[in-house]
Amino acid sequence: MLFEYAIIGGILLGIFYALLAVGLNVVYGAQKIINLAHGDIIMLGGYGAWELYYTYHISPILSTIIVIPITVVLGYGLNRLIAPRLLKSADPEMLSLILFFGLSEVIEALASLVFGNAARALPVNSIPTSRLVLFGQGYSATWWVSASVILPLLGIFLVFLNRTSIGLQVRAVISDAVEAAVAGINAKRISGIYFGIGFALAACAGVWGVFIYGGVSPTEGPAITVTAFAIIVFGSLGNTVGTIVAGVIFGIFYQLAQVYIPSWSNLVPYVLVIATMLVRPQGLFGRRQRIA
Amino acid sequence: MLEVSRLTSGYGSMQVLWDINLHVKENEIQIVLGANGSGKSTFLKVVMGLLPQWSGELKMNGADITPLTVADRVRGGLGYMSEQGIFPSLSVEENLKLGSLRTQNKSVADQIDHVYQRFPELKERRRATAGGLSGGQRKLVGIGRALIAEPKVLLMDEPSSGLSPRYVSEVIDRLAELRGGITLVIAEQNISFLTIADTVTVIEGGLTRFTGHIDDFTEDESLKEAFFGIAGH
Ligand SMILES: Nc1ncnc2c1ncn2[C@@H]1O[C@H](COP(=O)(O)OP(=O)(O)OP(=O)(O)O)[C@@H](O)[C@H]1O
Ligand SMILES: [Mg+2]
Repeated sequence: MLFEYAIIGGILLGIFYALLAVGLNVVYGAQKIINLAHGDIIMLGGYGAWELYYTYHISPILSTIIVIPITVVLGYGLNRLIAPRLLKSADPEMLSLILFFGLSEVIEALASLVFGNAARALPVNSIPTSRLVLFGQGYSATWWVSASVILPLLGIFLVFLNRTSIGLQVRAVISDAVEAAVAGINAKRISGIYFGIGFALAACAGVWGVFIYGGVSPTEGPAITVTAFAIIVFGSLGNTVGTIVAGVIFGIFYQLAQVYIPSWSNLVPYVLVIATMLVRPQGLFGRRQRIA
Repeated sequence: MLEVSRLTSGYGSMQVLWDINLHVKENEIQIVLGANGSGKSTFLKVVMGLLPQWSGELKMNGADITPLTVADRVRGGLGYMSEQGIFPSLSVEENLKLGSLRTQNKSVADQIDHVYQRFPELKERRRATAGGLSGGQRKLVGIGRALIAEPKVLLMDEPSSGLSPRYVSEVIDRLAELRGGITLVIAEQNISFLTIADTVTVIEGGLTRFTGHIDDFTEDESLKEAFFGIAGH
C-alpha cells in the first residue's frame, strides 16, 4: 500500500520535476550553456504567480499561461545580449558560468529587496482542493492539479519542437549551426526564441513550485538549479524526452525516499548526479559520452 | 555569374589559399579539381562566407559579395552542400524539408517525392536518423536537400565521396539534367564528373594551376597526367 502510494505520488510529482528540469535542458540546447540562474527564474515564476493572484485575483492555472510570453521575451532579450559576448570570448563555457552565476546572485538579491526574505505561499483554495483517490489511496490536490496542467503543457512543447517549422529549425540549429545557416535559417533568432522558451518553461514550473514546495522564497534558486541539473544529467544532457522521463523517475525516487527514509530524501538529487556519473555518465538516453 | 580573382584565405594565421582565380558563367557547370588538402573545401567555404576572405575579389552577378553574411548570400541565390551535407540528429525527411525553407512557392511534398524517386533507398529510410545512415546514403540526403533548395549557384563539396559507382553515375545524371537551370561549382576528385563539365579549375597547394574550358583541359596532356597521377588513377 505504501509502495503503491509512493509510485503513483512519485509519478504525479515527477511530472512537476520534468517541467522543472526541461527548461534548463532547453537553454542548454539553445546556447550550449548551463543556466546557473535556472532556479532563480523558477523562483521569479513563483513570485509572478503570487503577485498575479493577490493583485489581480488571477488563478495560478491561468498564471501558468500568462508568464509564458513575458519570460519568452525576457529570455530572448537576455540571449541577444549575451550570445555575441560568449561568441567573442576565448573561453565561452567559463564566461557563461560566471555570467549566469552573477545573474543568479543579482536576481536573488533583488527578490529579497522587493519581496522580503520570508517565504510567501498561495492559499490552497486558489486551485481545486479535492483529493484524488486512486486504489483507495488519497493524493494531495496540489499533485494532481499541477500534473494535469503540466502534462498538456509538456505535450504542446513537444508538438512545437517536433511538428512545427520553427521546431524543426530549432532542432536543425542544435544539430549543426553552420549547416543551418547555409540552409537559410536565422540561427541567432531561432536560438534566441528557444532560449526564451527555456525561461518560460522555468517560470511555468515556478508557478507550481509555490504549491509543491509550499511557498516561494528569494534563496530557493540554487537548490532548485541543482535538482534540475541532476535530472538533465540523469536523462542525458541535451535530450528533451530523456529529461522528461528522468523527471518522472526522479519524482518516484524522491517519493520512495520520502516514504521509507524521509530524513534522507533531500539528498536524492545529489546521489542521482553522483550515481549517474559513476555508472552511466552519458545518462539514461545518451549514446556518446558528453562532458557537462 | 561568379568571379573570383586573387583570392586568399586560411584558418587562423595559417594561409591555405594563396591565389585563386576563376570565372563561372551563368548556367555553366564547373568542376574544381585538386588533390587532398589542395584547398577545394576551403575555397568553397570562403565563397559561401563561412570563412573570412583575406584578400582578393569575389563577385556574383558583377556585385562584390565579400561584405555579405552567409544569410545574405543564401538570399542572393547562393547554395552550398558541405562535405558532411546533413543534419545528423534529424530524420532523412526532416533534412529534406529543411531544403525547402526558401522555396515556399513549390509543394514541398512533391519536391521530396522527386528526391525519393531518384534515390529509392532514402524513401525506405525516411524516418531514420540521417547520422545513422551509411556515408553514401548521407551524401544522397545532402544532395537531395541542396537540389530542393533550388539555388541559382550551387557549390558542392565532393558529392561523390563515399558513393558507390552506381550512385556516382546517378548523381552525375541528375546534375546533368539540371543543366541550363542552375550554375554548378563542384569540388571533386572523381574524374567522371568531367563528363558534365563545361569548365575546369585545378587547384594545387592553394594556387590556381589551371582554369578554363574543358577542351583546353583535356588537350593539356601534362596537366591531365599531373592531376590523374595525384588522384591515383
Ligand atoms: N578547420 C581547419 N583548421 C585548420 N586547417 C584546416 C582546416 N580545414 C582544412 N585545413 C587545412 O587546409 C588545407 C586545405 O584543406 P581543404 O579541406 O580545403 O582541402 P581539400 O582540397 O578540400 O581536400 P580533400 O580533397 O581532402 O577534401 C589542408 O592543409 C588542411 O590541413
Ligand atoms: Mg575537401
